[in-house]
Amino acid sequence: MKKLFMVVLTLALLVSGAYAKNIKIGVLVDESGPTGDVGKPYGEGIRDCVQWFNDNGGINGNEIELIYVDYGYKIPAALSAYKKFKRERVVAIHGWGTGDTENLIKMVTRDKIPYFSASYSDHLTHPDKAPYNFLVGVTYGDQVKIGLKYIKEQGGDNKDVSFIYNDTGFGRAPFFPIGEDYAKELGLKVVDKQVVDLKALDATSQLLNLSKANPGYAFIQETYMAASTILKDAKKLGIETQFIGLNWTFGQKLVELVGEASNGFMGTNAFTLWHQTDVKGIKFLHELNKKYHPDVTYRKVNYIQGFTSMYVLLHGIKKAGGDYDGDNLKSVYENMSNFDTMGLTSPVSFSKESHKGVHSLKLYRIENGELNPFTDYITAE
Amino acid sequence: MNYVNCGNFKTSYTKDAEVYQTKFSKALIWGFVIALFGLPFLLGPYLLYVMNLIFIAVIGAVGLNILTGYTGLISLGQGAFMGVGAYAAGYFSLRWGIPFYLAIPMAGLTTAVFGAFFGIPSLRLKGLYLSIATLAAQFIIEFLFIRLEPITGGVTGLSIDYANFFGIEIYDDFRFYFLSLTICILMTLAGMNMMRTKLGRAFLSIRDNYIAAEAMGISLFRYKLLSFAVSSFYAGVAGSLWAYYTTIITPENFTISVSIQYLSMIIIGGLGSIQGAIFGAAFIVVLPEFLQSISDWAGSYYPAMTQIIGSIKEGVFGLVIILFLVFEPEGLVRRWRLIKAYWKLWPFSY
Repeated sequence: MKKLFMVVLTLALLVSGAYAKNIKIGVLVDESGPTGDVGKPYGEGIRDCVQWFNDNGGINGNEIELIYVDYGYKIPAALSAYKKFKRERVVAIHGWGTGDTENLIKMVTRDKIPYFSASYSDHLTHPDKAPYNFLVGVTYGDQVKIGLKYIKEQGGDNKDVSFIYNDTGFGRAPFFPIGEDYAKELGLKVVDKQVVDLKALDATSQLLNLSKANPGYAFIQETYMAASTILKDAKKLGIETQFIGLNWTFGQKLVELVGEASNGFMGTNAFTLWHQTDVKGIKFLHELNKKYHPDVTYRKVNYIQGFTSMYVLLHGIKKAGGDYDGDNLKSVYENMSNFDTMGLTSPVSFSKESHKGVHSLKLYRIENGELNPFTDYITAE
Repeated sequence: MNYVNCGNFKTSYTKDAEVYQTKFSKALIWGFVIALFGLPFLLGPYLLYVMNLIFIAVIGAVGLNILTGYTGLISLGQGAFMGVGAYAAGYFSLRWGIPFYLAIPMAGLTTAVFGAFFGIPSLRLKGLYLSIATLAAQFIIEFLFIRLEPITGGVTGLSIDYANFFGIEIYDDFRFYFLSLTICILMTLAGMNMMRTKLGRAFLSIRDNYIAAEAMGISLFRYKLLSFAVSSFYAGVAGSLWAYYTTIITPENFTISVSIQYLSMIIIGGLGSIQGAIFGAAFIVVLPEFLQSISDWAGSYYPAMTQIIGSIKEGVFGLVIILFLVFEPEGLVRRWRLIKAYWKLWPFSY
């Protein structure tokens, strides 16, 4: 018995010794909360990315260890997860929502831990306010700007615009003040604003108001649920307005939810989609999934988002060359310019002035149930 | 020598209302308090964080217990009132540069005014109707958090500096522990003593029979509003502490779910008891952390199950609360008294 105990103890010591070399990364994802529908595939993307890195020698020979927390979209749970990350001495964190990222900014800054977020709010990208926060994605504000720019240049006779949003931080972020100001700058008129709740099952009255103002274009900042309600009701009421959805409204899921009514719907989307197999990154992901998940035939755009974001994060750590100090990592990311994500997005660049990773996106349109880009990469600037 | 008070030997009302029933209990309580101050030297940052959450929750729960447990008025707006306190503290410190030790009581007073205002319907409404009225307060205040941009910073919220106590910046869990513990003890003592005064007795009489209370000359309107004000003062202090803890104040921290959490704290802990509020707050804070650690542990072995485990966690949280209501409707404090009674008589319990 004593011998067995000694063997187990030695093994345990050996294992913990081996673990000590691991590079730890904290991941905060919502799988069981209100944004779980997009959080789950996002988390799968993160995990597959890490597994691929580990299968190919990890980072400079060290294995990556994920400390993965499903925080259910609750801010106190995010704070407690953060304390756990700190206790485990993670070198970087990949976070999730707007509210929790905001709540962690100060602590992340004080502890000097690079923090990637899945929230694309613009105010998370200012290096003077959030020096350790980084974003791999086009910010909400830039998405609206790109949309407005397109309307200004190529919109038809009716260039009036309308904003449809939910009354939360997430919903208001793209429009107030960024979208409004930019529309003014371009000389476009914002003729109408409508609030549609994230879980709304009816948007008739809002759409009736909208049709009175008769805008040529209406931006939608929602997730799939509310977007599908809006599109269905718009079709029912015969509204001619062209709807443009920001990234969380746009995906194959929308086609499944509304069918025919999704025809002609436009989306601002920075990530390449699963069916665009001519892109190197997508080909790579198809092969990766064949290997890791043989029974998976389709991946949501959120999976690709998660994969790409983690891909950039890990490459930064790789480039740091063994020095995983927060300041060093920060400067590595800030010197990252035109980093190739295998075509999954336009090249990623951070700088000392801006922590927005991706600056350009393509506009997509849904035609006969297919999501296809109809522009080249457009930037907001 | 009197270690424990076996049986009831009280011969006067003064003795009955004493905080320390025996010298032994006085020593125990002081020992406990001193131990609490020594604790941070032993605990790591994570456990200190949990303790800090408990202290903040205790303040809020004691406040709500004064309103609901002692005065018998239901409120579903405690979360929003905490938000008012947080924003007030943020506003005072950002715009007027007021140090935290003044900003916290000022935030409490501001919230008290808010609470009293939203307590006005309580004169006409009772029970379910009042709870809906306070629910409305919750939504109105939440709406204001987003819309009053010049004061609240809108959806991005306010970002304040860490509390600064004569040059010592309170930025980590270790330092914050002493701040939150001190305020928690002060507020709990105040609550405990308040209930022994005329004010507390008026609250109790309103809860037990408001007609009789009015017949005895207690102004219902005045005391009901006072109860709302006192309870909101506590909420305001808890909220402003939370603000100094995270230093970011956003509307998402003070939603209806926070209000419900506080209500469940006092129900699980025990209505109408300061001790109950403390037990309940500790329980409701620790339970999700406990479940989370189980789910993290299980998730590290079965990554594909993370989502399912996460959902089970929510279910277990609900189940535990239901089980408590079924098997211990008077709350943890009753269980505590039973345990104490058992040891008083042990080993000759006849």
